[in-house]
Amino acid sequence: METMKDEDGTILKFLDTMDNYLILFDSLSSTLRQGWLDLASARHSMGSSRISTALLNLKEHSASTVVRVNDETINETSGMEPHFTLRKWRTCEDKTNPIEEEEDVQGLLKQPSLNLRHRGFSETKEASNEPLVSVDDQVQKERSKALSVFGALVSPKLRSAQISFETVLETLIDIANARSVMLSTFEQLQQMKEQSN
Amino acid sequence: MYGFEMMTFNIHGGFLEAIVRGHRSSLLTASDYNNLCQCETLDDVKMHLSATEYGPYLQNEPSPLHTATIVEKCTLKLVDEYKQMLCQATEPLSTFLEYITYGHMIDNVVLIVTGTLHERDVHELLEKCHPLGMFDSIATLAVAQNMRELYRLVLVDTPLAPYFSECITSEDLDDMNIEIMRNTLYKAYLEDFYQFCQKMGGATAEIMSDLLSFEADRRAVNITINSIGTELTRDDRRNLYSSFGLLYPYGHEELSLCEDAEQVRGALEKYPAYQSIFAKMSYGESQLLDKAFYEEEVKRLCLSFEQQFHYGVFFAYMRLREQEIRNLMWISECVAQNQKSRIHDSVVFIF
Repeated sequence: METMKDEDGTILKFLDTMDNYLILFDSLSSTLRQGWLDLASARHSMGSSRISTALLNLKEHSASTVVRVNDETINETSGMEPHFTLRKWRTCEDKTNPIEEEEDVQGLLKQPSLNLRHRGFSETKEASNEPLVSVDDQVQKERSKALSVFGALVSPKLRSAQISFETVLETLIDIANARSVMLSTFEQLQQMKEQSN
Repeated sequence: MYGFEMMTFNIHGGFLEAIVRGHRSSLLTASDYNNLCQCETLDDVKMHLSATEYGPYLQNEPSPLHTATIVEKCTLKLVDEYKQMLCQATEPLSTFLEYITYGHMIDNVVLIVTGTLHERDVHELLEKCHPLGMFDSIATLAVAQNMRELYRLVLVDTPLAPYFSECITSEDLDDMNIEIMRNTLYKAYLEDFYQFCQKMGGATAEIMSDLLSFEADRRAVNITINSIGTELTRDDRRNLYSSFGLLYPYGHEELSLCEDAEQVRGALEKYPAYQSIFAKMSYGESQLLDKAFYEEEVKRLCLSFEQQFHYGVFFAYMRLREQEIRNLMWISECVAQNQKSRIHDSVVFIF
């Protein structure tokens, strides 16, 4: 009886993660479409010569956004489960205090949000509002710096295209994590089925 | 105000005015745009355009077509028409026609300088330049390290030389300096063009002063909106506004203090000419501002054809063609991205 309840619980969990995975894919598709349309709108407003691949910077520079794969999350039955985190707008000048965002596992069930979420350290949570304001300012500066390849004064449509593509990056990480959980839940189900057989 | 142009205009300008009025009648109509808006693919767009004057320019393009190809070929048509008019124009019309291209020249200079700063290949950048803004020594721009060298090595022999006096520094070129250089050059160009038209007098001065004033005001609004949230200071922003136009000087003072789109709206609604633009938009719809300004510009450009014996028709025709090319670009992008429901967000009908 208890085994059946465990199996039912795992099946429900698998269906939940699959539903979340499909919702995230749908969200990714609509956000990407919006981003590409905003980019076309910016090109329409500013002109084709100002928004062009010919202006992208070929100078050597480090990535402002990186993905970290963390294998430390251990699942009870299936073992290691990869966990992906996105570190956005890392400043090259200040590597001792990088601007970071971390996607919690619980955050997988939430819709992607543009709000900054800090690490779950208690010191950070108890900190005053001042560090949050300076992080927001720094993020805005990094965003403006990334857009400056097209000029210092760009259309608001280009900025909204940038926000859309940033949201797409976050959604891709959510999708990767959701897929990881979904696959590990599926493995659990298969193991349960083999054991019951 | 009027110089009895009717008596003498046709001696030198009559033929070309007739030519440009003929070109005007070939601009796409609302029914053409309705057909284009129903296209499913870019090949359908090409098929519909083959029945227009763009047909010969697109007929040899292989599938699959790209939006950039459609824009490039349509621009080629405009350039051919312009060159045909320029080679048959006498003074002062030839100088007037050359003035129309200086804006594109400034854009090309900035494109080359910015691309070089980003270590791009010069040949790749030259392919992206607007053909109306090309000049002989444009490739040499890649050598300059600062504005003083830019002027001394290349631009001193171009029509842009007089516009450089306000922005020659020895500072190295970076993104903000280049942006300030672009807008300072464009400001000087608009003011010079305005003065040239005023000297011509008559109907040309009257019509062109209205069109150029609107252009200066629209630039001021765009600079304000694009500089919100950037490092551009209020004084720098004010220095980029032109010294003429309906908004000069009190509107510029208010615009230089604006921190968001709603404050810009508040500054412009005091002017009856621009009140109608904002009446079409509800609060928070600042994204429709571009389209509203384009619609107002098209209305003014079409009105210039109602009068004869002036050079404003040439300027108006060039601008209307550029608007048509922007429309075709937007329609092509919406068709290519399967977003046909958004076509009417940015298409401005001319007739």
